[in-house]
Amino acid sequence: MIRAENLSKIFGSDPEAALPLLEQGKTKDEIRDETGQTVGVNNASFDIQPGEIFAIMGLSGCGKSTLIRCINRIIDPTAGKIFFKDPEQGEQDITDLNADQLRSLRRRHMSMVFQHFALFPHRTVLSNATYGLEIQGRSNDERRVRGQEVLEMVGLDQWAHAYPPELSGGMQQRVGLARALATDAEVLLMDEPFSALDPLIKVDMQQELKKIQRELQRTVLFITHDLDEAMRIGDHIAIMEEGRIVQIGSPEQILVNPRTDYVAKFVEHADPTGVITAGTIALPFESDAFEPSGERDGIRYSHHRDHPEIRYGRDRDGRLRGVTVEDREAPLKPLEQILDAAEGARATRLRDEIAITCPEGAVLRQVLRGRLHSTLPVIVTTADGRARGLIDDPELINGILEKRGYVAP
Amino acid sequence: MGESLEFLRTLMNDPFGFLDIPVRQIITDIVNWIVANFRDFSRTYISPPVRGVMNGVQSALSAIPPGIFLIGIFLLGWWAASWRIAVFSIVSFALIGFMGVWDQMIITLSLVVTAVFFCVLFGLPLGILSSRSDRFYAVLRPVLDIMQTTPPFVYLVPAVMLFSIGNVPGLIATIIFAMPPVIRLTNLGIRQVNSEFIEAAVAFGSSRRQILWKVQFPLALPTIMAGLNQTIMLSLSMVVIAAIIGAGGLGLEVYAGLERLNIGQAFVGGIGIVLLAMVLDRVTQGLGEKAPGVRHKAD
Repeated sequence: MIRAENLSKIFGSDPEAALPLLEQGKTKDEIRDETGQTVGVNNASFDIQPGEIFAIMGLSGCGKSTLIRCINRIIDPTAGKIFFKDPEQGEQDITDLNADQLRSLRRRHMSMVFQHFALFPHRTVLSNATYGLEIQGRSNDERRVRGQEVLEMVGLDQWAHAYPPELSGGMQQRVGLARALATDAEVLLMDEPFSALDPLIKVDMQQELKKIQRELQRTVLFITHDLDEAMRIGDHIAIMEEGRIVQIGSPEQILVNPRTDYVAKFVEHADPTGVITAGTIALPFESDAFEPSGERDGIRYSHHRDHPEIRYGRDRDGRLRGVTVEDREAPLKPLEQILDAAEGARATRLRDEIAITCPEGAVLRQVLRGRLHSTLPVIVTTADGRARGLIDDPELINGILEKRGYVAP
Repeated sequence: MGESLEFLRTLMNDPFGFLDIPVRQIITDIVNWIVANFRDFSRTYISPPVRGVMNGVQSALSAIPPGIFLIGIFLLGWWAASWRIAVFSIVSFALIGFMGVWDQMIITLSLVVTAVFFCVLFGLPLGILSSRSDRFYAVLRPVLDIMQTTPPFVYLVPAVMLFSIGNVPGLIATIIFAMPPVIRLTNLGIRQVNSEFIEAAVAFGSSRRQILWKVQFPLALPTIMAGLNQTIMLSLSMVVIAAIIGAGGLGLEVYAGLERLNIGQAFVGGIGIVLLAMVLDRVTQGLGEKAPGVRHKAD
């Protein structure tokens, strides 16, 4: 949907002078000392898929706000290209657009949400929400109808005729979101939209954004300085440091495989329980930790070498066919069922011998909850039904404390 | 030796004897030239519209029966500000009437309204231009300084020479003297609009004109209203001076009173001006606070 290639932004009197130095790989400080120019964005490249939330995470001053403003050219990049794939017109290079084309792009295809809301104080909530439609020259009636629609979407239809300063921060940002949604722009640029909100409101808003996103399938570029926020809502995360993108990946990839020390330091205190998935930490049945323990009725059994008493039976297709504990058959139950049944119940010390199965995509938090109900390891199954591996205490603890998945020796 | 000592002594005692800049003559020549070349122009193209607006306003205001006028001023005060201001306004205007200078007040009010009309007509666009171009404002600024600081008496003479005597030259002098605040505060108000609002407007694809009229201007309105208020006050302060060259109204009352050493008459005119000024000030201030950007200022 949006693809940036070697995007750079240099601030100062003679940005071109600093470009060759960037190519030589000099740092921000070196370039400032040599040319007096300030590097905002340094050779950023990324590719955002339609319908995903792409989070850009970095500390203040890392250039993330500059980067997002290059996308709709509120700031003109010094070098590099930005391609936007419009469903009607195909791919166009945003850096090539003239003033008219740029305005039309901003009116129809890209809208923006700001950190400090930037709602117009002299306009009502409704007329703020429909500002973009007004700029497009839509009729009054159309604006009113669409305005009510988007306000309803963010739960503020009762406040249509209030003025922004009469609303709380969270409500104001809902108006900001409604304003950005009203124009039906495919791309939503969100510049630290929730950073100015109280922590509780912030989590609410994140969930709401996820919900709206599921319904509307916009492509969202989301800037944040909060790694947990990026992990919670981002399908992909780009980590920025000193104008450079140092790593791009899914939240789990970044958590499990930080590419640089900088990223590693960032993720050190991140909460992995909602990010790392069962598939990542599962100990595969194919690994040498397992030994075969006989075959019966076409079902092959194997056991972990430290726990010969628990045997896992799989058929030729790799499907789980039964688990026995000292030759007693343990009942198989999907994790989902266990969690649903136990919802709201307190943790218990009475754990049964149930063989819990869970999909690869289940996150650690869910697996941990499931573990409360059984003394046996959790068995991870793939989307096509094969038993892939199991999760026992060492895998869980390793996953939580070290944020590491299974690595083949 | 003695000769150069003599020279030094003269230099110290009278250093200005060596050079004579004939400013007097230069200015006289310039003014004469302007008068000779622009008199017809100004009397054909500038006087008629100014006089036309002035006469229109005056006949409209005089057509209102004073009783209705009083009720109107009460309602205006109430709508623009508060019931306190409304009461204050009606009492002030009634006092003016009871002092027997109602008709003079109507003339003065017409002069002020006309002057303010032209100040806004030219001042607002100039202010907007100033806010959009640093270079334009750099050129305009010294002109504004000259307009505001030159004592009005100084340009009464060329005004009379160009426009003869009466209300029109008085109005022209008033307009020149009172216009700068509208320009300055329009410029300031627009420049002061928080850049985050501009950025938001740009992000949604607003054109420069849309940004001006949908965002900058409404948000600058309270500041512009403050400029308008100052312009009204300045033009009121000119009415006495304008009376010297034949403008009528309360100013003439004061001027005539002074000339005849009739202190009572002068004071009646003066009190009338003060009351009118206070009412206009309170009402326009009230209007300024009603402007959308004030009540709902972002926190």
